[in-house]
Amino acid sequence: MLNKSFAPQSDTLYGTFLNRLKNLKQVAKKKETEEFWALRDVSFEIKQGDRVGIIGRNGAGKSTLLKILSRITPPTTGRIELGGRVASLLEVGTGFHGDLSGRENIYLNGSILGMTQKEITKKFDEIIAFAEIEKFLDTPVKRYSSGMYVRLAFAVAAHLEPDILIVDEVLAVGDASFQEKCLGKMKDVSREGRTVLFVSHNMASLTNLCSQGIVLQKGKIDLPLSDIHTAVNHYLQLAQKQALIDLKNRTDRDGEGKIRLISFSTYDQNDSAIDIMITGNKVIFKINYECINNPNPTGITVAIAIYGSDGTLFSVLGNEFSSRAFATIPQQGTFSCVLEKLPVTSGSYIINLAVSQNGIMQDWVQEAAKIVIEDGDYYGTGKIVPSTHRSILIENNWGVNEA
Amino acid sequence: MKTEKIIIDPTLSSFFSIKEILRYKSLLGNLAKRDFLVRYKQAYIGIVWALFKPLISILIFGYIASKINNGASTASNFMYVSSALLLWQLFSNIFNDVSNSILGNANLFSKVYFPKIIIPISTILVCLVDFFISLIILVVLFIVSGQPLHWQIIFAPLFILLTVLNGFGIGLYFATINVKYRDVKFIVPVIIQFGMYVSPVIFSTKYYLDRVPAYMHWLFCLNPMVGAIDGFKYCLFGGDAIYNLNYFFLSIFVSFLCLFIGIKYFFKFERSFVDYI
Repeated sequence: MLNKSFAPQSDTLYGTFLNRLKNLKQVAKKKETEEFWALRDVSFEIKQGDRVGIIGRNGAGKSTLLKILSRITPPTTGRIELGGRVASLLEVGTGFHGDLSGRENIYLNGSILGMTQKEITKKFDEIIAFAEIEKFLDTPVKRYSSGMYVRLAFAVAAHLEPDILIVDEVLAVGDASFQEKCLGKMKDVSREGRTVLFVSHNMASLTNLCSQGIVLQKGKIDLPLSDIHTAVNHYLQLAQKQALIDLKNRTDRDGEGKIRLISFSTYDQNDSAIDIMITGNKVIFKINYECINNPNPTGITVAIAIYGSDGTLFSVLGNEFSSRAFATIPQQGTFSCVLEKLPVTSGSYIINLAVSQNGIMQDWVQEAAKIVIEDGDYYGTGKIVPSTHRSILIENNWGVNEA
Repeated sequence: MKTEKIIIDPTLSSFFSIKEILRYKSLLGNLAKRDFLVRYKQAYIGIVWALFKPLISILIFGYIASKINNGASTASNFMYVSSALLLWQLFSNIFNDVSNSILGNANLFSKVYFPKIIIPISTILVCLVDFFISLIILVVLFIVSGQPLHWQIIFAPLFILLTVLNGFGIGLYFATINVKYRDVKFIVPVIIQFGMYVSPVIFSTKYYLDRVPAYMHWLFCLNPMVGAIDGFKYCLFGGDAIYNLNYFFLSIFVSFLCLFIGIKYFFKFERSFVDYI
């Protein structure tokens, strides 16, 4: 015998998560006179039980939007109506205190996230089971491994039962299997009819978790609420367009700014500039930079991240990993990264660039450049791997032996 | 599922909502518990330190006071000063801790919403625990010195409450300024140090007022701690602790004025704290 029931659907305002954000959030930066609108004319409405991804580049206003929705900072103008209890996870483990035990931190963190003492006690066993820390319940969390710490922190958050859950990129923590577990838990949450708002740079987890998406660009809605695949594609196209802008004119950058990346260019084996690279050939990436008010730059690490046009990460090239940090660098100059044999098949790729000084991010530009690669003879056999899928090529040798 | 509606709008000022505070009462308790537990973690004799600090200052100031002729016997002089000192310490702890509480917990409310007033209130709870521990000293001293008890003693809790409100009100005002101007951290200890010498802690109100011109008496009584300390002394010892009833009520009036201004000022800027942290 089959039984079937439906959760009540609401298409009226009742029980919906309704937003009316207009001329939102004016954050005065540094000088009081220099106004900066982090969000402007943002307006949308989300229905109960929807899982919505908020997509945008650095500085698009995602975090500000989440902070306003979480009631952490008020909007400058505009109005929001939330139909239910809100819990926001802008970071995991807010308020965790190293000197307190796992048990004490569960209560502290749970109550910070808005749970009552009774709710925490009820969920307590579930939380420790989820975090897999039963044995260390009375150990101060400062003695936990970082994995245990993060698991405990997320476990508390995962057992919240709000009507609306707002999540910033907190899933980018823990090991892969734990991330999987968290994603699963969040899907359960939305299955129970809760509304989820999710911000991430990871297109895979966005499409995995969300059914719909909104794309923000420079504080405005670039794409109103749409299907998540439409939204992700829209975002990726935006990224490609951004990459065509001259690097030094980009304003959407993160970091302290003591070192500034000015340009990115590619060169071939003869050290002449090229627009299109060939798979299997020698390629040199050059990044021009300048130091700004930085008389003594030390411990410099540079990273080039290569993304496919669908947003999947291919590889990160960094001097920190392949050799070592530069002890010191000239005030102005060029970082160069040599690839003896370019191992990527044909297609267009997006480059993110980052430079840090003693571990502190100085300049981070997402979608800093777009590169185009054409197929070449990587294996030196005169044959080309069919590029039905863009991929990384790996040296390999084959043999066959008689059994 | 019960639905409630939360409206977010740009109104910057909010106000004291008992309902909101009750809703977050588990946070209140857990924050106080954290502050209390953390203070004596990895300290060998742990909570005994909570007794030490007041005990040492009582012994020092009590000794000094017993050498001063306040117009009473050495023993009662000692008691006088000890009780005033405990109340002053309650005030100064609350004042100091509340004024630093918002800044010290910025990492919490910049990531999660909860009514921020919870933070200073939880600070008070911690200070009160310390106070009740040091109250043990006072009770012991009372028994040892064989002081007679007066019926007014039942009103003593009112003046403890008044002291708490003084520290809370003034502390909230400074906590709000502290968000934008970190100078507060340096000013508050100076005020506390100076304040002790213009409050009837070591000397009685009478002692001070006898030494300033009559037309300036009201100025001394603008200090909200004058009413609290004198009232407390009256409850414990009776007699002429309250020097002049008008000035006594003036001081209590100032207490409530400070409380009102502190709360008002705090809630005026509460919602914009995150933007200045």
